[in-house]
Amino acid sequence: MTRLLIVVVVTALLAGLFWFGITASQGRAIGPTQLGRVMPDFSRPVFARYQAEFGETLSLPTGKPVVVSFWASWCGPCHAQAPTLEAAWRRYRDQVLFIGVNTQDRGNERQAEAFLNQSGITFPNVKDLDNRLGVDYGLFGVPETFFIRRDGTLQHRHAGPITTAQLSAQLEELLQ
Amino acid sequence: MRVLALILIGLVSLGQAQEVLLDPRVFEIGRQLRCPTCIAETVADSAEGISGEMRLIIQEQLVAGKSEGEILAFFQERYGDWVLLDPPRRGIYLLVWASPVVVGLLAVVLLMIYIRRGQQQAAAPLDVSSDELERVRAALRQEG
Repeated sequence: MTRLLIVVVVTALLAGLFWFGITASQGRAIGPTQLGRVMPDFSRPVFARYQAEFGETLSLPTGKPVVVSFWASWCGPCHAQAPTLEAAWRRYRDQVLFIGVNTQDRGNERQAEAFLNQSGITFPNVKDLDNRLGVDYGLFGVPETFFIRRDGTLQHRHAGPITTAQLSAQLEELLQ
Repeated sequence: MRVLALILIGLVSLGQAQEVLLDPRVFEIGRQLRCPTCIAETVADSAEGISGEMRLIIQEQLVAGKSEGEILAFFQERYGDWVLLDPPRRGIYLLVWASPVVVGLLAVVLLMIYIRRGQQQAAAPLDVSSDELERVRAALRQEG
């Protein structure tokens, strides 16, 4: 009887550790990091094609919700989600500012330009050549999209390619 | 052509010099941080651009007089506990730190129970009937 109890306790302990290992790593991957916090402001150079409309550098606006989307020219899912972002920008541009951030792409300036040419994105895109903005935002990879409220706090961060439904749901929440 | 080669060598050396010039403490701290875009690599070991940038940030903060704890906290604030290779000693993470001790203690207790049982069995008088004893004695006498 005692032996059975010991086996049960040890098995439960090991199973608990196993469960913790799996669930904790899933939760931490792109977890609640920075949610609700005021996101760091930035001033980054704008790609030449957007400068006439948005100026040479761009920062987080005050009093307006922002969608910040990190991308890189070598990133397939970034290409795939570009039309989704562009469609949402065209629909919400009066209420929400979209900012694309080219990051983790040092030495690929030409490819980054080609990405913008190919995708036909009309919302402003800035350069994060030294990856500092990526570090400040705790970026894990690309694409990753941040939804920032009017007061500058982070509402949600989405890792990986975003769908129209996910984007719309977050945008509606941003506008409430 | 020779000039071009010299320029190329110079540029490569400059790139390598950046790593050489880093304070050894940068790598000590970098070894405690997980590379955000890699699999199972530390910031100290990774060749990813973001890890290189994180090493530079560590160097800048060391020059600015920040302590190791403050620098680790800087990255923890941005990436969460995930970025720390040693989980913090609080909350649910205490389970990770405590489990080796708990398992070790459990093993000691089990070993003690096992040894004590063996000793008790050895010390216990044999439950043998007088008939059996007589049979054994008779067998021994025959052999002797």
